[in-house]
Amino acid sequence: MTRLGFLLDSESCIGCHACTVACKSEHDIPLGVNRTWVKYIETGSFPDVSRHFSVMRCNHCDDAPCIAICPTNALFRAPNGVVDFGDENCIGCKGCMNACPYDAIYINPATDTANKCNFCNHRIEQGLEPSCVVVCPTHAIKVVDLDDPDDETTKLIARSETAVRAPEQMTLPKVHYRGADPASLDPLRTAIADDGMIWADTTAQHPTPDAGSPGVMARTTYTTAHQMTWKAKVSSYLVTKAVAAGMMAVAALLVLLGHGAEQAVVGVVPAVVAGVFLALTAVLLVWDLRRPERFYYLITRANPQSWLVKGAVVLGAFAAVCAAWFIAGVVGSIGALQGLAAPAALLAAATAGYTAFLFGQCEGRDLWQSHLVLPTLLAQAATAGGAGYAVLGLVADVPGSGAVQWVLLGGVLATAVLVAAELVMPKTPHVSAALAAMVRGRYARRFWAGGVVLGLAVPTVLAAVGLGAEVGSWPGAAAGICAVIGMWFYEDSFVRAGQSVPLS
Amino acid sequence: MAELQGYPPHETWHDVTSLDAKAWPHRVENRHTLVPTTCFNCEAACGLVCHVNHATGRIDRVEGNPLHPASRGRNCAKGPATLNQIDDHERILFPLRRVGERGAGQWERVSWDEALSDIGGRIRAAIAEDRHDEVMYHVGRPGEDGYAERVLQCWGVDGHNSHTNICSSNARIGYQSWMGHDRPSSDFANAEVIFLISSHLESGHYFNPHAQRIIEAQGKGATVICVDPRLSNTGAKADHWLPAWPGTEPFLLLAIARLLLLNGTWEQDFVRRWCNWEVYLQQRHPDRPLVFDSVGPALVDDYAAYTPEEAERLCGVAASQITEIAGVIGAHPTKFASHNWRAAGAGNRGGWQTARCLFFLNVLTGSVGTVGGTTGNGWNKYKAPHPAGAPPAEQWNELSWPQEYPLAYHEMSILLPHFLAEGRGRLEVYFSRVYNPVWTNPDGFSWLEALTDPEAVACHVALTPTWSETAVFADYVLPMGVGAERHDVASFETHAGRWIGFRQPVLRRYAEIRGEEVGPASRTHEFNPGEVWEENEFWIELSWRIDPDGSLGIRRWFESPARPGTPMSVDEYYGTMFAGVPGLAADAEAAGQTPLEFMRDRGAYALEGDMYLPYERQVEVAELEDCDIDDSGVFRRSGTPGRWSGSPDDLAGLHLPGLGDGSPAVQVDGTAREGFPTPSRKLELYSETLADWGWPEYATPTWIPSHVHWEDLDLAGNERILLPTFRIPTLIHTRSANSKWLSELSHRHPLWIHPSDAEALGIEVGGLVRITTRIGHFVIGAWRTEGIRPGVVAASHHMGRWRLDAQSGGSWAGGDADISNDGTVWRLRRKGRPERHASADDDTERIWWSDTGVHQNLTFCVQPDPVSGMQCWHQRVRVAPAEPGDNYGDVVVDTAEARAAYREWLAMTRPAPGPGGLRRPLWYARPLKPAPTAYAL
Repeated sequence: MTRLGFLLDSESCIGCHACTVACKSEHDIPLGVNRTWVKYIETGSFPDVSRHFSVMRCNHCDDAPCIAICPTNALFRAPNGVVDFGDENCIGCKGCMNACPYDAIYINPATDTANKCNFCNHRIEQGLEPSCVVVCPTHAIKVVDLDDPDDETTKLIARSETAVRAPEQMTLPKVHYRGADPASLDPLRTAIADDGMIWADTTAQHPTPDAGSPGVMARTTYTTAHQMTWKAKVSSYLVTKAVAAGMMAVAALLVLLGHGAEQAVVGVVPAVVAGVFLALTAVLLVWDLRRPERFYYLITRANPQSWLVKGAVVLGAFAAVCAAWFIAGVVGSIGALQGLAAPAALLAAATAGYTAFLFGQCEGRDLWQSHLVLPTLLAQAATAGGAGYAVLGLVADVPGSGAVQWVLLGGVLATAVLVAAELVMPKTPHVSAALAAMVRGRYARRFWAGGVVLGLAVPTVLAAVGLGAEVGSWPGAAAGICAVIGMWFYEDSFVRAGQSVPLS
Repeated sequence: MAELQGYPPHETWHDVTSLDAKAWPHRVENRHTLVPTTCFNCEAACGLVCHVNHATGRIDRVEGNPLHPASRGRNCAKGPATLNQIDDHERILFPLRRVGERGAGQWERVSWDEALSDIGGRIRAAIAEDRHDEVMYHVGRPGEDGYAERVLQCWGVDGHNSHTNICSSNARIGYQSWMGHDRPSSDFANAEVIFLISSHLESGHYFNPHAQRIIEAQGKGATVICVDPRLSNTGAKADHWLPAWPGTEPFLLLAIARLLLLNGTWEQDFVRRWCNWEVYLQQRHPDRPLVFDSVGPALVDDYAAYTPEEAERLCGVAASQITEIAGVIGAHPTKFASHNWRAAGAGNRGGWQTARCLFFLNVLTGSVGTVGGTTGNGWNKYKAPHPAGAPPAEQWNELSWPQEYPLAYHEMSILLPHFLAEGRGRLEVYFSRVYNPVWTNPDGFSWLEALTDPEAVACHVALTPTWSETAVFADYVLPMGVGAERHDVASFETHAGRWIGFRQPVLRRYAEIRGEEVGPASRTHEFNPGEVWEENEFWIELSWRIDPDGSLGIRRWFESPARPGTPMSVDEYYGTMFAGVPGLAADAEAAGQTPLEFMRDRGAYALEGDMYLPYERQVEVAELEDCDIDDSGVFRRSGTPGRWSGSPDDLAGLHLPGLGDGSPAVQVDGTAREGFPTPSRKLELYSETLADWGWPEYATPTWIPSHVHWEDLDLAGNERILLPTFRIPTLIHTRSANSKWLSELSHRHPLWIHPSDAEALGIEVGGLVRITTRIGHFVIGAWRTEGIRPGVVAASHHMGRWRLDAQSGGSWAGGDADISNDGTVWRLRRKGRPERHASADDDTERIWWSDTGVHQNLTFCVQPDPVSGMQCWHQRVRVAPAEPGDNYGDVVVDTAEARAAYREWLAMTRPAPGPGGLRRPLWYARPLKPAPTAYAL
């Protein structure tokens, strides 16, 4: 078998950027994005100072998270071990960009599809070396067949004379570095200084830890920009589906508590609210696609391994249960509602919680891979359900008021505990950096003012006050509204902070 | 896995099927013809192969040429970026003529015929009226060997002006004063010690070919030493980076030389056989016995002051490191490869001693022309013979070769605006050819003043592929091709071997391959984009217009031998050239092709054999028939400068060889050997030419304190040394700004400053800095780095391009600017940065950077080295935080101060005449040597 990888020889690399341009030419790559680039770092102080070069690109991982997450099989494993892609399948969900721990994937602005180094497989097919290999003045880029035990590079690798980027991600990268300064392969060990890089502008999209961050031991003097991909639409989608899931979960609870006969507030309204928020969820998801007109590829070209696909199935099933619930509610079939209560609760939980598994596929976002994400999402759904009913209580009589109030308060308190746990748990440098951005850095206001004060502290107080009042009271409703708005701020800080950690 | 190849096999190049990268993983086949040519960016002239798409007839891709002996199929970033230059949506596609004031930015399209008629008529009138010196061709990087020189010689004008004295004059005189050849040719691939006063891993002559071989040698265990005050990429890769104080490099080298002598690790027999040590002893140590054993002690005495400890104090490099390096060098005799071309050489007054002192180490280690050593470029460069041309002109153009600089290497081009202003002459037709002196040369506002003065320059013709700061001040802007659109033949000393490379208009060749008629009446502009032409056909046509009836005796040199009465075709021209290349005709015949077809299909040709130890070649008696042997054992040939009587009356009829004085051999230990093209045919430890022409104190390798020597600076105050010219791997002067990929990679060049200097000078992180020079100031942003010697600040070359109007290109790298003046005080102020905008290229919507750098060269006065004429680029500057009202990119200059500075430097010269009443030594190289009688003053 053939299993292709690269040897990037930093001992020979002279930092000339020929590979970057040859690649741009071979693949007609627009400005602003790169399949391969040369990172410069500087170490030491005068006169014992040096500059180190390392070439960055797709690692063609044997366990490629981008392939796993890709919902439409746009990214695939070629027979020669290369991680290749086909533009015509890509819906532009950007999942792969979050799955990749190497900053290797970008959205091509000309096609709105995800592109990356594909090892010039169209050239390999013809027995030609990749264009970066051909152009390199010093033969610093070599193709290696990792299944060939006689390959000189394979032997080097066997003798552990090479290094890979981010081995802790367990993606089994097939790009091996020889002679690279360890700091140049660890994006948290070098930072772009405040006065920028050696001969290119630094933008907000240039990945870097803060120059003073712990662990930073060298200066990045050349690298390329990488866009943040999942932003407000994703934060919103997390909230809309929490509301949908939460409403139905509370409705199911009310049925189980024996309130199935409340046709309006148990049988009809929650299903309508969930339907509306599920529709919003779908709109947000499709809207966030770079190729929204291809949204149905999620089904027609589905990769069942992808949690984007599984999530779509969950959302679909949940929508179906909501519809059934609505019908049962309208016709007033208590028995049907009782029968639907368990599936509705389970699918509500799945709807709220599946994103934890999707985030789990995002190998590039260690913050999102926390085990606390699933319980947090469930707690948020409870909060949102409680909030929904608290608001509903303003205009209608909600039975089992104590339960609803306790759901809201419980959800908020559980979320608070989980968020606090996230902050104090032992963590990797990557997660620390993400949390630092969330708690102390660029997203601190969102997190503290929005997520904590508005989303947790205020609702706790209001909900506690509301416990003493009737359901339908203003304090309870206000608690719910604050909690849901705060939830959005929290999610937004979490989503963005997760992507703020430099990967290259 | 089957072995992967870099390129499709050569025999398939006329029809290669490739898979479409964008359509992949679907197998969509494209068919291409692969046409080789030569890169037109830097001087290295690496081979390229253009992939011409059969369906579109366009060039899809530019890769390397695997058949090229120097670049071997590999390239730097600038090679593949040639595609951007071809596709540049802002390129000049048609001949343009100025309407309105010069520099006002208004143009009308004209036909080539109109342009040729007007320009040809002007030149004809100048020649007919004996105003030969009013025709000047000013060339940037030529990219060819000898074509334009032949044209000028056929016109009978001494009108060649080059960019050499902003580039390499100092290195040239340093090397030439040793070995006659004015460039080093380093056999890096086989070296065991590589000593670079250069940054060959990122720039220089010859970046990519040299970098390949330096890294190859390092991989085999060679020690790489790099001297540079700032951490270049080369310094970063070197085993020893020596950040010596600028201008002290010769001192450092002489300290190493002294250690080699003291350690006894010098090749005494080589020095005995091949240096002119007898002259050295006679001139410097007349009291010592005239035997070789005197040489070592004499040299140790001469260099007694150059101790490692003093070197540490003066150069700022640890004595222990100097001693260690001397040990390494001494341990690898004959395998010491070194190189200096610009860097310290081009930076400092007296910088020419850098190359001279560096090559001294080659001489002491016997590493001259050896495997792994350094030889003269003339031995690793092959100049293909041009068709016969006119005999040398009887003219001497004082605008380029003024009496003040008899040893200048070469034309004093930087002084042209001052000479014009002083009334030393005027120009009827001034060609700026792929050259941008307003931006590139020092003192650009003086150039601007000259170029906008119709009395000084009647007609300025810019021959250029791109808009430039100079072209906007032209009367004609004539579009010339980039690397894939023009004919040139060139050869460079990239390694131990000789080759020629052929640049050709790719689409013309493609048409030929497709069977289209490309006859003698075809013109390259019919195949290139728009009406983009090439100079070589242009020169033929223009020469025809200068002398349409042949009465001036010019036309005959441009006439087709096969079709009398019609102009020579480029096929005839290059067919004649290639037929004269040894071995090429036979190899072509074996391939069933003419030499021209063979070159059109391969793009390069390696001549057989190596040229190691060429000076040792035994010269047969038959070759020495008409020679006398002189006291020093040199065979002198009659009719050459070597046998000249010294009387001006005997100049007529002398044959001036391109290199050397025409003496063919020298006796060494009783055998006649080829030797070196110096007057002594030996390596000149003592240069009699330098002594005879007024500089006896510099006749042996010497350190000359620089004009920026640190001990003369107010370092406790805010005086610092500015290094303004270093290059980066992705750009090449002002030729590469039309590449979006290169501009994306590199578009800012902040001022490198050591943190300790920044603190001492009160310059904030990233803060604005005002750099004040002798004649003005500029405002730039600071960049703190440990990679620079405290006391030195630096900003790279290439950036700080400006444009006065949006029509003149510059989307990727040009900052909109205004130029204004109040008398002699000129001001350039930026008013814009690259903005996203719609254009024929979608990528203009994706420009993500906003910096384009700051222009520096306008604020530098001319600083010609009094010996070589080299612009000494390093600047003595005051470094301070920007002042209120200063904007990023501001440039302010007083050209009256520039004139005063010019006079100060002029006063340091020791003018001609030299021995024999000459303007210049007869043996000295000159791009275009006039008739010997023109040398008499």
